[in-house]
Amino acid sequence: MAIEKIFKDDATEEKGERARMSSFVGAIAITDLVKTTLGPKGMDKILQSTGRGHGVTVTNDGATILKSLHIDNPAAKVLIDISKVQDDEVGDGTTSVVVLAGELLREAEKLVASKIHPMTIISGYRMAAECARNALLQRVVDNKENAEKFKSDLMKIAKTTLSSKILSQDKEHFAQLAVEAVMRLKGSTNLEAIQIIKKPGGSLKDSFLDEGFILDKKIGLGQPKRIENAKILVANTAMDTDKVKIYGARVRVDSMSKVAEIEGAEKEKMREKVQKIIAHGINCFVNRQLIYNFPEELFADAGILAIEHADFDGIERLALVTGGEIASTFDNPESVKIGHCKLIEEIMIGEDKLIHFSGVEMGQACTIVLRGASHHVLDEAERSLHDALCVLSQTVNDTRVLLGGGWPEMVMAKEVDELARKTPGKKSHAIEAFSRALVAIPTIIADNAGLDSADLVAQLRAAHHTEGCNAGIDVISGSVGDMAELGISESFKVKQAVLLSATEAAEMILRVDEIITCAPRQREDRM
Amino acid sequence: MAAVTAAQPRSSKTESYVDNKRKEDIRQANIIAARSVADAVRTSLGPKGMDKMISTANGEVIITNDGATILNKMEVLQPAAKMLVELSKSQDAAAGDGTTTVVVVAGALLKQCLSLLSHGIHPTVISDSLHKASTKAVDVLTAMAVPLELSDRESLIKSASTSLNSKVVSQYSTLLAPLAVDSVLSVVDPEKPDMVDLRDIKIVKKHGGTVDDTQLIKGLVFDKKASHAAGGPTRMENAKIAVIQFQISPPKTDIEQSIVVSDYSQMDRILKEERNYILGMIKKIKATGCNVLLIQKSILRDAVTDLSLHYLAKAKIMVIKDVERDDIEFITKTLNCLPIANIEHFRAEKLGHAELVEEVSIGDAKIVKVTGIKDMGRTTTVLVRGSNQLVIDEAERSLHDALCVVRCLVSKRFLIAGGGAPEIELSRQLGAWSKVLHGMEGYCVKSFAEALEVIPYTLAENAGLNPIAIVTELRNRHAQGEINAGINVRKGQITNILEENVVQPLLVSTSAITLATECVRMILKIDDIVNVR
Repeated sequence: MAIEKIFKDDATEEKGERARMSSFVGAIAITDLVKTTLGPKGMDKILQSTGRGHGVTVTNDGATILKSLHIDNPAAKVLIDISKVQDDEVGDGTTSVVVLAGELLREAEKLVASKIHPMTIISGYRMAAECARNALLQRVVDNKENAEKFKSDLMKIAKTTLSSKILSQDKEHFAQLAVEAVMRLKGSTNLEAIQIIKKPGGSLKDSFLDEGFILDKKIGLGQPKRIENAKILVANTAMDTDKVKIYGARVRVDSMSKVAEIEGAEKEKMREKVQKIIAHGINCFVNRQLIYNFPEELFADAGILAIEHADFDGIERLALVTGGEIASTFDNPESVKIGHCKLIEEIMIGEDKLIHFSGVEMGQACTIVLRGASHHVLDEAERSLHDALCVLSQTVNDTRVLLGGGWPEMVMAKEVDELARKTPGKKSHAIEAFSRALVAIPTIIADNAGLDSADLVAQLRAAHHTEGCNAGIDVISGSVGDMAELGISESFKVKQAVLLSATEAAEMILRVDEIITCAPRQREDRM
Repeated sequence: MAAVTAAQPRSSKTESYVDNKRKEDIRQANIIAARSVADAVRTSLGPKGMDKMISTANGEVIITNDGATILNKMEVLQPAAKMLVELSKSQDAAAGDGTTTVVVVAGALLKQCLSLLSHGIHPTVISDSLHKASTKAVDVLTAMAVPLELSDRESLIKSASTSLNSKVVSQYSTLLAPLAVDSVLSVVDPEKPDMVDLRDIKIVKKHGGTVDDTQLIKGLVFDKKASHAAGGPTRMENAKIAVIQFQISPPKTDIEQSIVVSDYSQMDRILKEERNYILGMIKKIKATGCNVLLIQKSILRDAVTDLSLHYLAKAKIMVIKDVERDDIEFITKTLNCLPIANIEHFRAEKLGHAELVEEVSIGDAKIVKVTGIKDMGRTTTVLVRGSNQLVIDEAERSLHDALCVVRCLVSKRFLIAGGGAPEIELSRQLGAWSKVLHGMEGYCVKSFAEALEVIPYTLAENAGLNPIAIVTELRNRHAQGEINAGINVRKGQITNILEENVVQPLLVSTSAITLATECVRMILKIDDIVNVR
């Protein structure tokens, strides 16, 4: 052979059959890892960090699990990516999308084994996905006009999302919380206005929704603990000293009294700064940096509530909800936007004192205070609640709603099956395979609940043969039930995103016929 | 699949079938690990429970009976075991006491779960039934509880001493229990009668003496001595106290500075100026009538110099230096004064008043006591004494538990019998309830009921009694309607435990049951451990 080497040392190349094999195997392994978390009876995983501290996370959230995995397989990475995208786009269905993509690939593997060209499979999948989407579109319910009904739809969706999470026991309570919080947003999808504070202690049921904003900080000494009609200046400025930040700046004097003078001048400068701040006509001052004792006392003398060392996230959000701006210079009081709120007071949650801003400018803002047994519980509760909030805020914009519990998959599978029968040629095999992959989702839900999946899915399929059927898997009683009666709903947007991104991901992986692994970059400190 | 680890990512990906066996193993491993943690603290339960000696990595030795402390220092690695440690921490946060109980209950529940799992019951079914059982249990407990008035000091003391009885310092419970009650009651704010902030109670530990010498001080105690350097006063009647956050020392600027001395006469002048500067400050202080100075610690420059101490002593001002910044809030609240951050703001209205500030020597160390404070804030100080560091530390922990118990009673004013009575009653009532439930649920609730018997069983076992005889006897008594029958560890028999004054707050029991259930449910739902970054 004339050509000895094209690639660098250590770079590897996998071709044709081998490459496809490797992607299939990787993708399917990832699917198998997360599929036990699917559905209301899905299990949790412990994520044990190999880093410092061996931190432990307990979670049921597909995106969280996948995000933290060590992955070396390129195809597996594609799946993790779609789960991330799903998380960013709609917030929920992160597990479903990976499972569906995995199942599609599993079916494709069989087709490839029976010598069907990947391109044929892809075009079959495309047709099937289009058809499935149309099937869903025909069956959506849209209660946009009827506010009452729409709210009950939201409640149902929230409950369905939460039922697969740690909050399932108190889903009624949390669904109420989430719906109220999202309704306050009035259609905006800006979840930043919903603040989630976690406080260990108490039980999940003690969690509550509070209008306004809560800052986990202390009020300075000797300052008022309660202010009505507050005018808030949010700032990010040094309230210790204005250091001259020129390297080596120093003063030389020849007597002690001059040192005292300089000290006095420094103090004077600080006092001026404080005066300027006070001149804004405020009665609450929130700073991101420390406020030293001296200015703190000045503020106390002026009867201004000063909060020091608020975290960055905190002040940005505070500025947002109170309608103020973060200021760092104070020379032009007119140009600085000052935030307003009706009442600032100190409240106690559990053992800690927090500062509560109520009646804020941005009426949408609210805070959800989560209580729970431990940090694990709280973290997981936050993730679950976040999912629910995402889904709800998406649903408020796109009000189309579907039933849940495997119902959409069965509807799609039925339509896709019809299509397969009508389609001539090899493509029909691919379309059929697509329908099988769709059915896999109710199968997994049933399996996770410890039910006889083969029997249930067969019953479900039979039930779906009648027109306008609402049958889905009722995991609680372990039988086929009417989803509309049970109040299990899902957002159309989530389902559509699952369907389309899973198909796209599967397509992408199918197209691969060669994997080139580049040589790892040499690291010198490796040894 | 199950083990996509960093070590062998490729080999593990070749499997694609569902391997259920491994999942069972993970769940079992988790349960076993968590149970071994529970077993480790089991022997410290109850008034005759034993203590543990923990030697930490840096050679420090701790002897304690407090479940939360033991678990905290154990440094477990297994994730499920870690969750039990977290559990005891949450109980500590929620109720303050019952940290051992909660772990023991969780351990017993896990044991029952293991057998339920081996019967092939789906974990989520068990988990749901446990939740149902625990809500029912809380109802039963609430029904058993006796309401309490805060004016009923006797009952409060009783429950505080129940908590103290299981500790190393149990022989001092007659002293510590009223002390805990008084200190909590004195910080209750009449405006918010349900809230007690334990940070308003300061515990000062001091070597020497015995636990008997522990006292409640209506005022302030500093674990420091007054500055003696220049023979300043150490006792001050009619004190006017100032809390200052500036320093009485030569000026120092934030910008780098240096004084250039070019000739001999200048040196003299500098010294004189320094003296004048300090003298000027002290004059201002003296002018307000202040005679006690509390100076906040500063990292930037010396709080006081020999020179300033000398002048302060001459001006008959007592000085306590190096007060931590974190303590300032507590001090100002107690003294009802304002901190002063600048000499220019030194005004008489910012001072606090007290009848007496004096330095007292205790053993070989000295402390400063401030008593007779005018308009004192709602705070208290407890001075804990003990013959050695270990005893003091344990006394502090026990006192903290007792304070928490009283706090629980303030926020939720119900008492419940101790000595295993509520647990056995729960077990009985839930057992009866399980018979009316259908299917798996009934079976699981029955197991839950059985698991609760672990508390009386362990109490009896730790007291050296025959656990089986005691528990069956107890069950029998409860079946006959004596719902307050419990184990009297001192007499070694079953008596009406309410009459024996063994009582505990309702909140401790309910939170132990709910938290333990929540934790067990979480462990049950885990089917895999994934190693991640």
